[in-house]
Amino acid sequence: MGLIRSPESDPILVDFASEIGSVGPVVVRGGGTHWDLGGGSDPAAREVRPPEGIVGIRAEEMTVEARAGTLVSELHEALRPFGQRTSLPESPGSTVGGTLAVGWSGIARLGRGQTRDSVLQVHYVSAEGRLITAGGPTVKNVSGFDMCRLLVGSLGTLGCMADMILRTRPIPEVEVWHRVVDVDPAEVLRRCRTSASILWDGRSTWVLSAGYRADVDSDLRALSELGSLRPDHPPDLPPIRWSRRPSDLFDMSRADAAVGRFVAEIGVGVVHTENPVEPSPPSPGTVALQRRIKDALDPTGRFNPGRRVGGI
Amino acid sequence: MDLGLDRSELDACVSCGLCLPYCPTYRVTGADIYSPRGRIALMRAVQEGGAPLTDEVVDSFETCVQCRGCEPACPSGVPFGHLIESTRESLVEHGHRPPLRLRVALHALGHHSLLLAGSSGIAVAQRLHLVPKGLPLPAKLPVRRSRLDASGDDVYLFTGCVMDAWQRDVHAAVKRVIEACGFGVSPTGGDAACCGALHQHAGLGDDARAQAQRVVDSLGDTKVVLVDSAGCGAAMKDYGRLLGTAEARAFSERVFDVHEFVAGHVDGLPGVEPLDLRVAVQDPCHLRHVQKAHMAVRSVLKPFVREIVELDDEGLCCGAGGAYSVVQPELSHLIRDRKTAAVEEVAADVVVSANPGCLLYMRQAGVVVAHPMELVARALDA
Amino acid sequence: MFGTRLRKTRPHAGDDRCVADLVAALGVERVRSDGAARLLASTDASIFRGGAAGPVCFPDSTPQVQACVRIAAVHRRPVVARGAGSGLTGAAAPLGSAVVVSTTRMNRVLEVDVENRTAWVGPGVINLDLTHHLGPHGLHFAPDPSSQQVCTIGGNVANNSGGPHCLAYGVTSAHILAMEVVLSDGEVVMLGGLDAEPAGYDLRGAFIGSEGMFGIATRIAVRLTPDPPAVRTLLLSFADVDSAAATVGAIIAAGLVPAAVEMMDRRCVEAVEDFVHAGYPRDAEAVLLIDVDGMAGGVEAQATKVDEIARGLGGRVRVAADEEERQLLWKGRKSAFGAIARIKPDYYLHDTVVPRGKLVEVLRAIHEIVDRHGLLVLNVFHAGDGNLHPIIAYDSRQPGMSEKVREAGREIIEVSLAAGGVLSGEHGIGVEKRDFMPLMFSDDDLDQQARLRGAFDGLCMMNPGKVLPSPHSCSDITELTEAKGDLWG
Repeated sequence: MGLIRSPESDPILVDFASEIGSVGPVVVRGGGTHWDLGGGSDPAAREVRPPEGIVGIRAEEMTVEARAGTLVSELHEALRPFGQRTSLPESPGSTVGGTLAVGWSGIARLGRGQTRDSVLQVHYVSAEGRLITAGGPTVKNVSGFDMCRLLVGSLGTLGCMADMILRTRPIPEVEVWHRVVDVDPAEVLRRCRTSASILWDGRSTWVLSAGYRADVDSDLRALSELGSLRPDHPPDLPPIRWSRRPSDLFDMSRADAAVGRFVAEIGVGVVHTENPVEPSPPSPGTVALQRRIKDALDPTGRFNPGRRVGGI
Repeated sequence: MDLGLDRSELDACVSCGLCLPYCPTYRVTGADIYSPRGRIALMRAVQEGGAPLTDEVVDSFETCVQCRGCEPACPSGVPFGHLIESTRESLVEHGHRPPLRLRVALHALGHHSLLLAGSSGIAVAQRLHLVPKGLPLPAKLPVRRSRLDASGDDVYLFTGCVMDAWQRDVHAAVKRVIEACGFGVSPTGGDAACCGALHQHAGLGDDARAQAQRVVDSLGDTKVVLVDSAGCGAAMKDYGRLLGTAEARAFSERVFDVHEFVAGHVDGLPGVEPLDLRVAVQDPCHLRHVQKAHMAVRSVLKPFVREIVELDDEGLCCGAGGAYSVVQPELSHLIRDRKTAAVEEVAADVVVSANPGCLLYMRQAGVVVAHPMELVARALDA
Repeated sequence: MFGTRLRKTRPHAGDDRCVADLVAALGVERVRSDGAARLLASTDASIFRGGAAGPVCFPDSTPQVQACVRIAAVHRRPVVARGAGSGLTGAAAPLGSAVVVSTTRMNRVLEVDVENRTAWVGPGVINLDLTHHLGPHGLHFAPDPSSQQVCTIGGNVANNSGGPHCLAYGVTSAHILAMEVVLSDGEVVMLGGLDAEPAGYDLRGAFIGSEGMFGIATRIAVRLTPDPPAVRTLLLSFADVDSAAATVGAIIAAGLVPAAVEMMDRRCVEAVEDFVHAGYPRDAEAVLLIDVDGMAGGVEAQATKVDEIARGLGGRVRVAADEEERQLLWKGRKSAFGAIARIKPDYYLHDTVVPRGKLVEVLRAIHEIVDRHGLLVLNVFHAGDGNLHPIIAYDSRQPGMSEKVREAGREIIEVSLAAGGVLSGEHGIGVEKRDFMPLMFSDDDLDQQARLRGAFDGLCMMNPGKVLPSPHSCSDITELTEAKGDLWG
C-alpha cells in the first residue's frame, strides 16, 4: 500500500469522481473562457463542474494545492501576502484546471515561466472513473512517467482534472511596463535581461521589466538609449492566437492585411492577431501516436467528445 | 586468471564513468571497451570473475595509450597507470608479447652506440630515398650529431636514447638555458642511455627494471637529474616504486623535469625581447597527468614569447604514446586528428611540446612544433 | 571512423542471425557481439549487476537506429539505448539479452541557432561538451547533472535529468523543445517543435523521463540559456546539520531563488577534499555550496541576504574569490559520488525528495536508520529543492551486507514518502527502484502509466522491465532477467 495520501481519502475528490462516473460522454467546464477551442464540445456530453477552493498554501515549499475549479485570480490573491504567485496567466473568470487544460502560458512567460513547467501533481479521474495521481507533491520529481505534462494542453480529453499542486515563484521586487516606439524589438530583447515580457505590434514595443530594483533601473537606462521610454500599460491583445519560432516574428509587418492588427510576444514566438491564420500542421507521424494515446487512456472516447487536439 | 592486480586498487573504481571523456580511445570510439572504466571492469572479470582472456579483452588492454589522463579525472584516485602496467606485464607473461619489430626496437634502445649508428644509417638511407614513406620516423633524421660537452658539474641533463639520436638539438637548447640560469651542465650520455619507460608500457617489466637499475647505478651521486622528455621524467620519478629500493627512491627524489627546474630560476635569466610568436602549449600526458608539472612550461615560456594560448581539448593525448603510434596506428591517428583539430582552432604560430614523442608525432601531421626550451634558447640568443 | 578496430568480434551463439542481420544493415564495424563488449554494455554506474546485453550497435544515423529496432523486432529481442552508461538506477542495464543501441557516435552538435536560442544535437553529445561548444555565444544548456562531464543529452532526456542549477532553471523537461524519435515499430516521429506552442498533446513532455521505454531519440532540439552576467559562489559551513538545513529553509522562505543550494555533510566533505583540495572546511559538520546568479544588483542583494541568514544561524561564510576557486569548489561537489570509494568500495544511494521544511526531520531519521543497521551514510544533496542523496558506503564482500544495505535503503524511502516526499528527484526509477513504485502509486495510477507506455511502444520491446513493476510491466520481468546464452560463448 502506498505511503502517499490517497485521493480516495478526500471526500471532495471522491464525489467528483463519482459524478464523472465510468460511462457516457462527459466534459468538465471551468470558466469557459476558451470554450470554443478545438472546435468546441459535443452538446451531448454531460457537463460537470470541477471542485473549487484552495487546499493549502505551502509558502516555505513554494507550492500551492488548489481544486481545478479555483479561479486563477483568486489563487493569486491568496498567494500575494506570501509574496508569491504561479506561472499561470490570469484572465477574467479563468480557472486553474481550465488554464492547465488549455495549456497556454501568459504574456510574461519570459519572467514567470511556462504554465506546463509549473505543474507538480494532478489528481484526475480516469475514463473508468478512478481517481489517479500523476506526478508528486515536491518541487522536483521523476518518479514514473510524466503524466502531468501530457495532461497540460490536452483540453480535458485524456482525464478529468480534479486538483493540482503547482510550483509558485516569488513576486519580483519591481515590475514595470514601459513602451518605446520605432526600435528593433530584437535589440530590446538583447538589452533588457530583466524583461518578463516584450510585446511588439510592428511599431511600438512594450517591455515588462521585472527583478531587483537596481537591475531593472540599469536595464531601463540601457533601453532609454534606444528611444524615448514611457511608462505604459500593456496593449490589448487581438483575439486569435498562434505560435511560431521566435525569430519568425521579426518578419511580420503591420502592412500585412491578412494578419490585421497583431501583437507579437518577442523572444517567445506567440502572436495575437485580428484575423485567423492557418495553424501549423502537427509534426509528421504524430497523428497516429496521439490517436493511440487517446485510445489508451480514454478507450470509449467519452472525455470531451468532439473536441480536437492537434491533428486528431 | 591472475593478472597480479591489487584487489584494493581495483576496488577503488565505483564505475561512475567520470573518466570516460578524458580517455583518448573512448573519445574516438565511443565504446566502453576502449575506456578506463571498461578496462577495469575487464580486469576484474578476468582476475576475479573467471572470464577468459579473449582476443577482445587483450585488445582492450593493449589499446590503452597509457596517457593516464583518467587519473586526475578520477574522484576515487584509482591508480590506473599502475593497474594497466601490471596487466600488460601479465599479458606478456601469458604469451601476449608485443610485436617482434617493437621488441627489436626496444632492445636497441638499451644499446646506445648501436642506436646512434643505426639512426645515422637510416638517415643516410632517407637521403638516398631508400626508406619507404609512412614509417613513424622523423622526415629527416640527422646523419651527424653535434657534440654535447659537459659545461660543469652542477646538474645532470638526462639525454636518453631516441631523443639523443634524433633530437640532440633540443638537448643543446636545454643546456643553453640551464647554463644561462647559472649552472654547469653534465650530459649523461651512453651508460644511462634509456629510462625503460617504453619497455614498461609494453609490459616488458624485467627489461624496464634492468634499464632503470642501470640509470640509477650510473648516476649515483647527489646531483639533481634534469630531464627534457616528459615521458622519461615520469618514469624516472617512479623508479622508487618500480625497483622498490631505498636507493631508487632516493634517486627519484633527485629527478626534475627541466621546466620545473628552470621555473625556479627564471628570474635569474636575462631580460630579452620576447619572440613575436603566438604559442600554443600542448601538454604531454606524462607531464600533465603524471608529473603534474605542466604549469611550469607556461611560467618558463611566458617572458620569452608574445602570447601563450591554451588548446581547448582539456589536455587530451596527442596519440603518440611512446610506441603506441607504431603498434596502434589506427586509433593513434584518430586521436591525433582530434589534437590537430584543436591546434587549428587556436591558430597559433607554433605549438610547443615538452616531450619528444609528441613533438615528432604532431610534426608528422604537418603541425609546426618545437620544444619549449628551443624557443627560450632562441629568445636568449636573438 | 572506427575502422577495423571494432572488427575483432566473434558471433555469439544464439545471436547468430540477429547479429548477421545487424552487421548486414550497419556494417561490421558498427556491431560488436563479443563477450567483452556485451559485459561492459550490461551495466551502468549503479550497483545493479543483473543486466545482460546482446549485440552492441554503434549507429551513426537515424536510419541505422531504425534498422537496429526493426531487426530486433524481427528476432523478438528487446532494444535498449545506451549513452555514457552513467545512470544510477540500472535503467540502461539491458535485460533479456537486448540489442544495445549505443548513441555515442551520434555525437555531433548539428546546428546552433543563436537568434532562437536553440540547438539541434545528436543524442550522444556530452552535456558539458555542448555547453563548452556554446561558450563563444554566451549560452549554455542549463541542466547540469553531477555527471555532466560524461553524461549525454540523450541520457538527460531519458532520465529528465536535474542537477544543482535546476533549482532556478528547471530540469531537462523545461529545456527540450523537440525530438526526432524512433519508435518500436521502426517509425520516425517528431515530438514537440520549435514553435512556442506546438499543436496537439505534449508528446515531447511525455517522452522526457521515459527511461528509454518509449523510443530512442535520434536528434534533439535543446533550449539554450544565456549565461548569467554575474555569479557569486558562497561556501557556508556549520557546526551541525540542523543549522545548515534551517538555513536552506530560511533562504527559500525569504523569497530567494539561488541558482543552486547544495549540502554536504562532514564525511562527504572529507572525501571530496582529499580529491580536489579546494579548501573545504574539514571541521564543519555540514557545508552549503550556494550559487547566486543574474544581474549584478540581484546577485549583490541575494548574496547579502544569504550571508545574513547564514550568520544568523551560526554559519561561517566564505565567498569564492575568483572563477578558478568557484570551479574548484564545484568540481568537489560534482565528484562526490565517485569520491566515496575513498571510504568503502561500494555505494548505494537513493534520491528521494522531501519537502524542504522536513529536511531536518528526515535527515535525522536517515541517520537513525543507518545507525541501527550499523552502516555508514554520507549526505550530499540538492538541499534547495529537498532532493536527498543519502549514500550508504559499504563493502559488498562482507556477508549479509548487501541485504542490510538494501533494507536500510527501503526504510529511507519509506520515511521520505511518509514525510510527503517522492521516490526519485532526478535519477529515475530504472530497475533499482522499480519495486518501490507501489509505495507511491496505486494500481490505477500505474495502470495509466502502463497505458501511456503501450501507446508509444505497443510491442513492449523498448527497454522492458524498467520503471513499472509487475504486473504493470507488459513483459514478464522474471523471464527478462535470465540471460540468453553464455556471455563468453
